[in-house]
Amino acid sequence: MTALDDPQVVTHEQPATQGRGSRFRRQAPQRRAPRPVQPAGPPNRVETASSVISTSTTMVALVTLWMALQMLVLGGVAQERSQSLLYGEFRAQVAAATAPVGPVTEPGAPVALLEIPRLGLQQVVVEGTASGDLLAGPGHLRNTVLPGQAGTSVVLGRAATYGSPFADVEHLEPGDRIEVTVGQGRVVFTVQALRRSGDPLPQPLASGRSRLTLVTAEGSGRLGAIAPGETLYVDAEASSAFPAPSGLPPTVPESEKPMGIDTGVLPLLALDLALLLALTLGVIAARQRWSLVHVWVVATPLAIALAWVTTDGVMRLLPNLT
Amino acid sequence: MRRGIRLGLVALVVAASASTGVSAPAIADRPQPVTPRAAVAGDAWSQTKSMQRELIAADGTSTAISDPNTGGAWQVTVSADHTQNLRGRERVGITWSGAQPSAGRANDPFGPGGMNQEYPVVVLQCRGTGDDVKPETCWTSSFGQRSQVSRSPSDATWTEDLHALGSAKTQVSSALGDVPGADRCPDVDRSGVTYTRLVPFVSAKGQVYPACDAKTMPPEAASEAALPANEIAGYTDAQGRGSAQFEVRTDVENESLGCSKQVACSIVVIPIGGISCESASTEVEQQMTPVEKSCRRTGQFSPGSSNFTSTGVDQAVSPALWWAESNWRNRFAIPVTFGDPPDTCDILDPRAPTGFYGSELLAQAALQWAPAYCLNKKRFKFQHNQMPDQAGFSLMASGGGAAALVSSKYESEGDPVGYAPVALTGFGIGYIVDRPENAGEYTDLRLNARLLAKLVTQSYVGSSYGAAHPGMEQNPWAITKDPEFTALNPGLTDNALEAGATLLSLSNSSDVIRQLTEYIAADKEAMAFVKGKADPWGMRVNPSYKKIKLPRDEWPLLDDFVPQGGTDCKANNPSTYFNDLAAPVSTMRKVAEALLDAWPNVQTRCDTDLSVTPPIYKVGRVERQHYGDRFMLGVVSLGDAQRYGLRTAGLETRKDKYVTPTTDSLTAAMKVIEPDGKRGPFEMDMVELRKAGNAYPGTMLVYTAARLQNLDKKDAAKVAQFIRTATTEGQRSGSGNGQLPGGFVPIRKSGATKALYTRAQAVARAIEQQKVPVAPPEAGPATVTPGSPEAVPVGEPVVAAPAAGPAAAPEALTMPPTKAVSSEWSGRLLPVLLMLGLVFAVVSAVSRVVTLRSRR
Repeated sequence: MTALDDPQVVTHEQPATQGRGSRFRRQAPQRRAPRPVQPAGPPNRVETASSVISTSTTMVALVTLWMALQMLVLGGVAQERSQSLLYGEFRAQVAAATAPVGPVTEPGAPVALLEIPRLGLQQVVVEGTASGDLLAGPGHLRNTVLPGQAGTSVVLGRAATYGSPFADVEHLEPGDRIEVTVGQGRVVFTVQALRRSGDPLPQPLASGRSRLTLVTAEGSGRLGAIAPGETLYVDAEASSAFPAPSGLPPTVPESEKPMGIDTGVLPLLALDLALLLALTLGVIAARQRWSLVHVWVVATPLAIALAWVTTDGVMRLLPNLT
Repeated sequence: MRRGIRLGLVALVVAASASTGVSAPAIADRPQPVTPRAAVAGDAWSQTKSMQRELIAADGTSTAISDPNTGGAWQVTVSADHTQNLRGRERVGITWSGAQPSAGRANDPFGPGGMNQEYPVVVLQCRGTGDDVKPETCWTSSFGQRSQVSRSPSDATWTEDLHALGSAKTQVSSALGDVPGADRCPDVDRSGVTYTRLVPFVSAKGQVYPACDAKTMPPEAASEAALPANEIAGYTDAQGRGSAQFEVRTDVENESLGCSKQVACSIVVIPIGGISCESASTEVEQQMTPVEKSCRRTGQFSPGSSNFTSTGVDQAVSPALWWAESNWRNRFAIPVTFGDPPDTCDILDPRAPTGFYGSELLAQAALQWAPAYCLNKKRFKFQHNQMPDQAGFSLMASGGGAAALVSSKYESEGDPVGYAPVALTGFGIGYIVDRPENAGEYTDLRLNARLLAKLVTQSYVGSSYGAAHPGMEQNPWAITKDPEFTALNPGLTDNALEAGATLLSLSNSSDVIRQLTEYIAADKEAMAFVKGKADPWGMRVNPSYKKIKLPRDEWPLLDDFVPQGGTDCKANNPSTYFNDLAAPVSTMRKVAEALLDAWPNVQTRCDTDLSVTPPIYKVGRVERQHYGDRFMLGVVSLGDAQRYGLRTAGLETRKDKYVTPTTDSLTAAMKVIEPDGKRGPFEMDMVELRKAGNAYPGTMLVYTAARLQNLDKKDAAKVAQFIRTATTEGQRSGSGNGQLPGGFVPIRKSGATKALYTRAQAVARAIEQQKVPVAPPEAGPATVTPGSPEAVPVGEPVVAAPAAGPAAAPEALTMPPTKAVSSEWSGRLLPVLLMLGLVFAVVSAVSRVVTLRSRR
């Protein structure tokens, strides 16, 4: 949430978006269908051109700003809700000793609770690191052991969008504590180093120890907080470790590796866009019969819901560490 | 090839100078040698003996059966092409001339199958040399080949043997004197009705096996034993000549026989001339006893005929009585010596080996080279670990192995790698093809790139099952039915065998497959065929392989056609037919052994056992091919081809020019090689190679590849030592330790191979010094200490197994750098989105204002 660069801009836009949205929806048909409203005289060329420009730019502005809004603000709300639900679920599982211990867990299920006291960060880690999994919270790379088990565990988290859980990880320093609760118990890791491209990999892990590597992205420059282009690794080690089960999958699909994208969502996305189109046509048709107010009372929640779902889909097409 | 023959003949004549002047037998029957083994002085062997069968009449007059050509005794000359330092399963070419023509040829002359023939030449392996060789030390794989148990009086011709001792003529006798009791040999009839002669087998440890039934034979003689019989009853043609490729067995393969470097052995050749009979009881032929009559028989079959049904033959002239004194006295005992067993180094040298990983092409050379290292305390312990070239290279590049043995250039990400040529060899298309009607083996097989393309793309359908494959209706069943093949190789059978539809090849990645597919890819007609154009006879490529990308390192199995119907067994066990036909194997050694045994690896056998309900199905490998009907092709290394005496096909280079692997044709290929950089491998362009005409297209160089930086000092010294030794001492042709076996062309300081020698020395120096700088684009020092787990990924964070790291790391290791993972999208998306949104919002607002104004 601290990742928001300029919250005012966005929050100002929010009401405006809603308002303009309704106006745009009404104007959109004017371009394609014969005007249903009484025209104020024959339009001259300047008028037509400027109205086309106005309509299309409004549309583009709406789409882009909505996406930015959802990625930076609304996604955060959704992520907090997911975290709340996951926390409840994981708490119950730990209490009942049914929390997963690997080696294979259903993707999306909570597997660990990650706390970094210095950053005030508390996140439930889910299984799987595909772009879609990371919408709910940090994800555990499936071909590594769970955090706290003997060996190296890797956890990926978003840096800028959807609650940006790992936005502040770059401020960690060697010696900081990372506390992890898994089904087998609680382990405290100590941060060893931050690692960027070109830095040497950590030394081979001594047997019986556990390593946790947090992976996220970071940007540089003025807009660095919302432009995370380079991967950042945080290596932390713990001297004790829980036994690790054997049978880990040898590899994960490309979509689950750092900066991976999940193209499997494309069919769903096509469906979402088709529904949006259907809604637009529906609004045009409805405007012929009913009044503006009635139509928009019905259409607005639908439009918002569809836009939300569509943006979620688009997010899965974007790199998972964004 | 011609030069090879000439050399062979010269050596043979030298070796045979002591013997009588019989024209040298056709040594050309031996596969075209790359480096003729016979050229090594003292390695070949030849001897001539005079022999004659005598029949003594009642009045004491002797009738001799003479050679009709000379009117005198048969002058038989037996030659062996090499006899020294043999290894397990190595084949020795045995040729003979002047022998009595054989009759009633058997389908399978090996082991028990060869017994029903007349006047064959029996070749056996026996322990001992000279006079130590006795029938009791000679190996046979069944008791029926050595003992005659409970035979009727008329079949006891050995009791009439003129030359036998009296003790051998009693009713129940044994070559060792004592006949075992009824508890040991219950099948021996002691009632006085029938006759028995036992020829026991004495094992290397001294154990006596009475050989009176299958239970009293050594364990290696079990029926369906792991290795097929090697003893052979060879066939002599009408001119008195014949040949056999005799496979020798060491104590590794046959412990009871027990031949080894320490235990001398012989190959015993016994021309069967028939039993000489002692004086008959009466002068009137009709009144002779049955056994006297049968002793005087001269055979039921006419010379040159076949005995397909394996009907009984006249015992007096059959190979079953090879041990009878009349035959045994005519034996040729060829003394042979054996080389070190393959595990010599493991037993005699307790030091830890230094592994060189990669190419199987070097296998036979490494077998002879290894003892020269491990038995010399000043050198290291060399070990050749065969694996796909690519895997060997990766292991070397990652620090898992000191050096790799490869045949082409590989990309390495880390340290620079030097390539030192250590062997000039190649691959061949091995074949075993019989001419029809017992005319002997076909020795001049020729293939072109399109025929090979047809074989590897599985475009021959094999049988009616494959003929149902869509898109291949016009294709021949096997290569023997292909007009293109029959034009090149006239006079072969046109039977379509399933084995004739396939080329037994490698299942894994190999530089050999790359070279083979490069050969195909360099041929326009072959590539047109692969791309879908029909050949002039209407044959089309298997649609599953149409437009397959060539060349490639690994040949995939792409055809998933499952035929419908057929026999009950086939219907109940559907399988991908073309994969069963091809059934590639993992090493070229297995291909060589399949050829050696004439046992195709075609997995289409499907038998039904109806004795139980529900019936049991047995699917798997087809049976061994019959002698006389053999047809099989496979990809072999030239080293294996020479060791096992396999023939290799001539490959087309220019139009109507077919080149076989010989010293000359491999050397000719060295004229087209181009060096790659200062320490890289040589590039051998296939188009140039074919244009040269006389160069063998299957020529390959084997390189020792090692890192030029960051290699452990000790390892670097060992690799340099290996390269220097291998390119000097290791290039002397011969069969001894440290020498270069057949199938390899020596690399020398001067001549056509000078460039190879110079390059090897330069690379050896560079490896030893370890000072070659990393190429400029490489980022930072990237050291992987030898022995550290290969699984340390460079790209993503360490995914180490719990026990992967060293238990305690006393000093810090230099780790590879973290690889950059970044995303343009991730880095630019949000700012761009926000900016676009704002810009368009402003434009929208402005245009709205303009609209309002213009309305006003």
